[in-house]
Amino acid sequence: MLKRLTFAQVYLLLAVLLAGAVVASAGIGAFTFSPAEMLRYLGEAAGWMSAPASDTLGRNVFLELRLPRVVLAGVTGAVLGVSGTIMQGLFRNPIVEPGLAGTSAGAAFGAALVFVLGEKTTLAFTAPLGALAVPVLAFVGAFAATMLVYRVSTSFGKVNVFTLLLAGIAVNAVCSAGTGFLSYIARDPQARNITFWNLGTFTTASWRGTVLVSVAFLLCFAWALRHGKSLNALMLGEDEAAALGIDPAGLILRLIILNTIMVAVDTAMVGVIAFIGLVVPHMLRMMKSADYTFLLPASALFGALLMECIDIVARLVISPAELPIGIITAVVGAPVFLYILLRQQRSGGAFYG
Amino acid sequence: MVEVRGVHYRVNDAHILRDVSVAFRPGRFNVILGPNGAGKSTLLKVATGLLAPTEGEVRFDGRDLRELGADTLARRRAVLSQHVELAFPLSVQDVVLMGRYPHYRRVPTARDRDIVDRALAIVDMTHKRAQAYPTLSGGEQQKVQLARVLAQIWNYDAPDGDKVLFLDEPTSSLDVHYQLHLLDVARELLGFHCTVIAVLHDLNVALQYGDAFVVLEDGRVAEATDDPNLISASLLERVFKVRARRLTDPESGDTFWRFRL
Amino acid sequence: MRRSSSALFLVAAAIGATACARPGGGAGRTERVVCVSKQINEFMFAIGAQDLLVGRDLTSIYPPAITKITSVGYHRALNAEGIISLRPTVFLNDGNYGPDEVKTQLQKVGIPILTLNPGTTLDGAEALLDTLGTRFDRRAAADSVLAAWKAGMDSIYRDTLQWAGKPRPRVLIMHFGQLVNDYLALKRGGVADHILDWAGGVNAVDSVGGMMRLTPELIAKIAPDVIIATDVGFDRFGTAQKFATMPGVSLTPAGRHGRIYRIEETDVMYFGPRTPAAVRRMAGFLHPSPPAR
Repeated sequence: MLKRLTFAQVYLLLAVLLAGAVVASAGIGAFTFSPAEMLRYLGEAAGWMSAPASDTLGRNVFLELRLPRVVLAGVTGAVLGVSGTIMQGLFRNPIVEPGLAGTSAGAAFGAALVFVLGEKTTLAFTAPLGALAVPVLAFVGAFAATMLVYRVSTSFGKVNVFTLLLAGIAVNAVCSAGTGFLSYIARDPQARNITFWNLGTFTTASWRGTVLVSVAFLLCFAWALRHGKSLNALMLGEDEAAALGIDPAGLILRLIILNTIMVAVDTAMVGVIAFIGLVVPHMLRMMKSADYTFLLPASALFGALLMECIDIVARLVISPAELPIGIITAVVGAPVFLYILLRQQRSGGAFYG
Repeated sequence: MVEVRGVHYRVNDAHILRDVSVAFRPGRFNVILGPNGAGKSTLLKVATGLLAPTEGEVRFDGRDLRELGADTLARRRAVLSQHVELAFPLSVQDVVLMGRYPHYRRVPTARDRDIVDRALAIVDMTHKRAQAYPTLSGGEQQKVQLARVLAQIWNYDAPDGDKVLFLDEPTSSLDVHYQLHLLDVARELLGFHCTVIAVLHDLNVALQYGDAFVVLEDGRVAEATDDPNLISASLLERVFKVRARRLTDPESGDTFWRFRL
Repeated sequence: MRRSSSALFLVAAAIGATACARPGGGAGRTERVVCVSKQINEFMFAIGAQDLLVGRDLTSIYPPAITKITSVGYHRALNAEGIISLRPTVFLNDGNYGPDEVKTQLQKVGIPILTLNPGTTLDGAEALLDTLGTRFDRRAAADSVLAAWKAGMDSIYRDTLQWAGKPRPRVLIMHFGQLVNDYLALKRGGVADHILDWAGGVNAVDSVGGMMRLTPELIAKIAPDVIIATDVGFDRFGTAQKFATMPGVSLTPAGRHGRIYRIEETDVMYFGPRTPAAVRRMAGFLHPSPPAR
């Protein structure tokens, strides 16, 4: 159905849907805001309207809790979508996503280190890093894990799916064992923090964290957009890409770094959210095109759109309490993953046959 | 215009190329011959710049390859290798457009698109341009790859310097029809300021299409000649470890080789 | 929280625009309370302030009537917006809630946070009830509950004299930690340990502070005379006979003699008006035929 549209028209369509989802997500929840109320609050915050004394609660909830959360959810969806696209391009395989390649588990382990050993203990190695300790250690863990999986799965030149899966399983197991050990030695409240953080949540959204994640995303995204052609060329193989004037080793290192920065900063803020990175590029390929110059911008828009919808569900199901995001993404994403595998089986090995 | 000077190539203890010097003939169909393990593909990769020689140098138009930027080089030479598989459903025209990547930054120009169209026409794949590459047969996929490298070194109109097409056993998985079609297209390029440098595994095909020959034996040049008649039975018997006999087609007068162990 | 503090006072922190010490406890205006502490919630019911409660946490399930009140989720995985949507005039807690960001989020929208941490002492718990009585304008009710509670405790103290010089059974209190999905032993120094002591038992675990994971070998090594299991852990087996088949437990004197008993978690995790009754129940388990006075 999207096949007849140009890329620009698809971006526009996704942007319009995203705008609608953002407005819905901003309005729906434990508090309900009408569009008129939202506009008034925004106007007041911008200083265009004088703030009336009444209903400061609704205004504060909207500006201080709801808005940063809606932005954080959108940016997180974009991060995971773009990351899935980049990683599938790097590994030349449609089943890769940050959760599978060890990136998320590595980031989680790094962050858990800070939770358990940071600040309050004598092992205060994280103190000089301050508020950046969690993102920084998450990056270190994520980068090490991803690099390891990439090196192992490409050690014979070509990406081998089975080696990739096995390397992913092994690295994920090591990281979750590390996180598990930390939660075992942790004092009770810390252990529970780790457990809930492993399922992902937007409830802790604040403007400070949201701005940090957004800046990291925008920088990495702008950088990633320059690599659409290179990712396409890489589909042909490393030698063919090199013959087209691309330095594959440099490209792969740059992409792993920028991907890891994005994912680590985001994971440090919202926890581990699986399957979005898998589903987003897959659906875009089926609906429109496998061209990375299209997939990179489109997966940012579509990832954000999907995440806003999932966040609305998370807030409504057991309102006023809410479900961890990771539970819903797994419920939606795991069947898609199985569907891809089944298709692969049926078509005799080729994805998207 | 492509010249290999005193090249050695070693991987760990293996000495794959030993002091190889070859000046490939510009505007000709150069063929690198030799048995498995003689270093044919390695020599080709060194000549393309994909592998850096352990010792020695490669000159392209008189300039050391290392001085040429990857982009400049990519606009001057293309490499077609064996079967390329894609894990993603990219369309045929998107694959061919990749040949133009070294020529534009963000958005392909009208000329880039025009070249894609014409390259597709040359390989007779225009009718499948919107189809997903992975759904094509092996022979059709290789035609698309050929169109991609044609687009990369497009020189049919308004020639833009001399170009080189490297062929790394591109026909090894093709049936005879696709083989001959691919090599015919490559030979046509010679009339458009192009040089072809090929590794071909079929000796008869190589001798039929080639007009300059380099025979490698154990990492060394055993023979380099423009005359197919200088490729003697004794040379082939020594290098390939077979018995060789030259036969003549009674109708056309063409000669071909018959091999036995 | 588990640190046994000698301080006999409450840590009371009121944050936000409204001061909690306003005279008259905010008369003329109805309080709306979201409370995420089991103990404080139970106390609110005890002093008849339950109609002020508009929200509770998932684990606050005593008294049963409290389950009709809206839950705002697990107390360590709260979301601020859900709490705020109940438009509370105060967010009541004992300091054990999370994630940490909830605190700043509530502050931003001006919801007063009242943290009352009674620690693990009886005096702390009594002071908590007293504070709630004043804060929520239930002075008389709080006083009468306190009086009955103190009288109950006095009688308990008198009863403890009968254990003097007599052999005390060694007791293992097994709590099932749902987060770790495993059995934990309650060590010395906590609320349960005090109750055990008043009931004439001695904790079979001789280290101090908090909980410790149990393994079958560890249970066998501890070799308690009596096992007290909290509700969830006991109910996984249903009966004492089945509980005794658990690896490790079957090797203990308690397992062999069928001396395994069930107790409500809320009876042994914090002190409250129900403590005297809990001590008597415990004493009944430990001394089936109590010596005559």
